[in-house]
Amino acid sequence: MYGRKGCQLLKELSSSEKGHLPQFNSDLFEQVFAECSQHHLELQSLIRKMQEEGLDVQTAKNADHHGALIHHLALVRNKRCLMAYVYNRADNVRSLLWKIGHVLPKEIEEKLSHSEEVYFKKHSARLKSYMSSLQVDLTVDMVPPKDPYIKIRVLDDIGEGIVLSDDKTANFARHSIHFLKRTDAEQFISRGLMEELTG
Amino acid sequence: MAGQSDSELSLFSAEELEFTAEDELVEIVPNLKMPPLNLISGDFGPFTPQIVTKVPLWLAVALKKRGKCSICPPQWMSLEKLTQVLEAERDSQEMSEQLPFHYVEISRLLFEHARDNIPDVYMVRSLIEDIRDVRFHKVETDLEAFSGRTIAVKIKNLSAMEVNIVRPFIGRALQAFYKHDSPELIPDPERVSDSRPQVVNNAPRRQLRR
Amino acid sequence: MAKYYDIDDIITEEETVSVIFQKAASGVGIDPSAEMDFVEAGSKVELPFWLAHELHLRQAVSVNVPLCFNQKTRLEIQADSASVDLRSRCPFFYEFGCKMAPLVADRTIGFLLLSAFKSRYKEVLTKAHTASFEAGSKFWTILTKEEINLYETAQSAMASFKKWRIGGARFQIASILRRKRKPTE
Repeated sequence: MYGRKGCQLLKELSSSEKGHLPQFNSDLFEQVFAECSQHHLELQSLIRKMQEEGLDVQTAKNADHHGALIHHLALVRNKRCLMAYVYNRADNVRSLLWKIGHVLPKEIEEKLSHSEEVYFKKHSARLKSYMSSLQVDLTVDMVPPKDPYIKIRVLDDIGEGIVLSDDKTANFARHSIHFLKRTDAEQFISRGLMEELTG
Repeated sequence: MAGQSDSELSLFSAEELEFTAEDELVEIVPNLKMPPLNLISGDFGPFTPQIVTKVPLWLAVALKKRGKCSICPPQWMSLEKLTQVLEAERDSQEMSEQLPFHYVEISRLLFEHARDNIPDVYMVRSLIEDIRDVRFHKVETDLEAFSGRTIAVKIKNLSAMEVNIVRPFIGRALQAFYKHDSPELIPDPERVSDSRPQVVNNAPRRQLRR
Repeated sequence: MAKYYDIDDIITEEETVSVIFQKAASGVGIDPSAEMDFVEAGSKVELPFWLAHELHLRQAVSVNVPLCFNQKTRLEIQADSASVDLRSRCPFFYEFGCKMAPLVADRTIGFLLLSAFKSRYKEVLTKAHTASFEAGSKFWTILTKEEINLYETAQSAMASFKKWRIGGARFQIASILRRKRKPTE
């Protein structure tokens, strides 16, 4: 049936676990795109046929007219599916910036299409320039702040010589425990590289 | 709203409510000497050992954590008062107004940071739990009464945390009821009779004239 | 147009409706019983709602009441609305009903939706804030998507309250990176 694949694309998005982003399905996306082109060709050929028969395309309601109408509707429907797919994913991609930060882990980046990656990078650059003009970092303190310093444990080798906001450098070896500025630790925690220790 | 709370589901996260509640004032007994603090929200102190002073909860907790004061639990957190509130809640379908708007958040903060300053802390804690349960049950009973004609809900004396928990549900439920009871879907019996005013209204009138 | 990008709305409009073509249409392969790419006037075809709706507006097809709103379902809902499996009939039972009602000019569908929702709402409410049950339980499987959304709204509000009350780390790994979700969350 016409439009089925377009809907499948969206069902894939909606059935994915809440808050998770499925892989961009470029294969199915292309198929729906091809379906659109096919509808367009058939629509044109039906209209051409009517014109050759000397009929007024606007008023003649013959079988060709209804055929063309159905192709037109299917085209519009497929367009809506593709638009919704891209739009809802773009929403999700922007939210990654707030949830994870400006650097995406590989496992997430793999799920984005090329243009989504570019979109994310441009969005991130825009936000950075906006924040520097405000002189406020909007991506920290996503949870209301308590103490300025928190205790953390490093979960993964982050590397040596990481420069923190007080211009000191720190070496975060795996499993080491540090007392860090909350705003410095926050992004590492949301990326899963550190965990907060309480008590 | 903050990026990590799901904006679609709830207006505030519990952490954000707690943050608001931290502006409530509490009495502390400092054990340090310190000049007054001039903050945007007001001037607090001076701090003199053994002299009671009022500060925002966040400041009280910060001082307490560093062993610089003891916190005086608010008057409503006493055993007698809470027992009385629990009875009142059980006796009536109405929500009592005896507890502060942020009672859930304040008590949780004090239990975490100032247990040693609260007399009968275990009893107090379980009383507050009981009160919250009784009150929440009442809210649910109110929600059961929803129908297509419900356009708004008014529940008096609901606390910040309580209203925050049910807000997303109520919003969606009301929306659904409103949608399924819309006149486009369901013919309004009054409107149907309006469309035939001649028949309905004239009949009795004619009888009166006779 | 307000719901142009709404995924649930698009999926709802994919539900099939049985229609009878009033006009013939050529060059379209939508009638599986036809040998050629041609639909005769009078043929009965199953179409997705989005197509049926537009063709109906142009008087090209007449629309039949879908199975999920037929007499049998109505009787079942009247008898014991809380335990009727609406999801298998139509995952967006209510939304689809709202879309169908004006098309088939059947105002009783509206009453059906309201009365079904009213009585099932109580069931959702009593379970929403208290019981947390496994996704496999029977109650769960018979709810429509709309009912599940309502239920999940309440559950997640309650879960995040409980998490706060227990306390612990305030900063956590972004949920999108969490590999396995615990069933209680």
